Amino acid sequence: MGILSTIVNWLLGLGSSLLVMIVLIILGLIFRVGWQKAVRGGITTGVGLAGLFLVVNLIISALQPAVAEMATRFGISKTFVDVNWADAGIAWGWPGIAGLIVTLLIVNILMVVFKLTKTLWTDVWSYWHGSALAGFVWALTDGNVVLGIAAGVLYLVLGSLMSDLTAKKYQEFNDMPGIGVPCGTTVQASLFAMPVVWLLDRIPGIKDWDASPEGIKKRFGLVGEPGVLGFILGAIIGIFAYGTTSGDLGLTKILGLGMNVAVMMMVLPRMVSIIAEGIVPITMSIVQYMRERFKDRELYVAVDCAVLLGHPAVMASSVILFPLCVLLAAILPGVQMLPIASLAVIPFWAGAVVPYTKGNVVKTVIVLLLYSIPFMYFSTLTVDSHTAAFQMMGQYGEQIAQGLKLASWDMGGDILGFFIQRLFGLFG
Amino acid sequence: MGKLIVVACGAGINTSTIAEDSIRERMAKEGFTDVEVKRILMADIEGYLTRTDLVMIVSMMKIFRTFDVPVIQGMPFLIGSQTEKDVLLDKIVDVVKKV
Repeated sequence: MGILSTIVNWLLGLGSSLLVMIVLIILGLIFRVGWQKAVRGGITTGVGLAGLFLVVNLIISALQPAVAEMATRFGISKTFVDVNWADAGIAWGWPGIAGLIVTLLIVNILMVVFKLTKTLWTDVWSYWHGSALAGFVWALTDGNVVLGIAAGVLYLVLGSLMSDLTAKKYQEFNDMPGIGVPCGTTVQASLFAMPVVWLLDRIPGIKDWDASPEGIKKRFGLVGEPGVLGFILGAIIGIFAYGTTSGDLGLTKILGLGMNVAVMMMVLPRMVSIIAEGIVPITMSIVQYMRERFKDRELYVAVDCAVLLGHPAVMASSVILFPLCVLLAAILPGVQMLPIASLAVIPFWAGAVVPYTKGNVVKTVIVLLLYSIPFMYFSTLTVDSHTAAFQMMGQYGEQIAQGLKLASWDMGGDILGFFIQRLFGLFG
Repeated sequence: MGKLIVVACGAGINTSTIAEDSIRERMAKEGFTDVEVKRILMADIEGYLTRTDLVMIVSMMKIFRTFDVPVIQGMPFLIGSQTEKDVLLDKIVDVVKKV
């Protein structure tokens, strides 16, 4: 026991980049992808993770003083820093990741064998939704890895059941037979959309109201570019925080914040993409194995929510939603995070909703504006476990000690994730 | 001049990586050294359409528009059997050879 705990402590002390590198190399060897692929994948993911934390560090040092300044000057208490997909860093870097992957694979195979679900959880990358939640629960229970894994697996299992309910609709609308999309906040958006769309279809006036996706894209398409959107939002926050404070009316600081937020909006997803570049090739053999094992059954093969983004109404609805969501978060009392990085998740929600609104832009916007409200409150309510997870992984300790709070919509604001966190909090 | 294949998906994170990996492996096997396989965001596609070395778009989602270069649906890379993947890769090799 003594030696084992010494080894475990040494491994944890390595930090998440090195830890994930070792974990992936071992997983790669277990899944027999060959040692070259395993080593390359492990190192690539470690690099992506380190890069991700660097970018988040940049945004914290730019955004935190600004939101604090805004609070002192105007009493606007929106002081949580939005890190959104940095949660993928928690997901792949927390100590239970390997256990979670293996447990979910076993549970999913059992569920398919006993016909409890039709969704084959082959898309290992998308486990990150459950794994990030697992990381929060791990932090919430003072480092209980087993409870973390249990929470993450529960979340992903419920995801496969939700995928069963939505698969047919996704397949028809996107012309992709055989797929299912069990991704966290995306598939929940579909379930949310069902009753709301039913209701909207019964309200005269709204029933037939639509807008042309092409027209919207032409006029507002620029706002859909992450860099442009980030620059605008950063500069607006900068005006509130630093406007008229110095000789040049604060212009240097305002533009500087705009640039920093633009950097985050463009570089953060790139870093997540590097993490994926390492993980995906290592886990591909799992897909092949599971496909072949169940080739005689009619099953839905899990794919990433990105495949739902093809319809023109997706981006058209998103560019309308970006400013509306920021405004709503600014107005709603008790909401402490202004969404910036989190806006990036909106197109994925839209992809899950347009099959239900039949590509109607107006209805998609209404559904998602309502859907974003619980995310605003839940991301505020889960901020402590969220921040603690970063701290326990050895990130941003100094700033957190000085009162920094980190939040996100995807996965911090996740509706199902919120209730699972509350449930497992009872054990903590 | 080199040949460029872009693999486009919604986020440029996960699904395109899967296809990119398979295509690269096959290109290496065929001995094509001048083929560049690049994954991109579907939203960024405009910038690549003007490139003269672009020979093909592999799309990981349904696209609701047309292009001058051949477009191949990459979904079998995600959910297809090995045979289906090989058929798709053969198709890609054919296009590359013809250019």
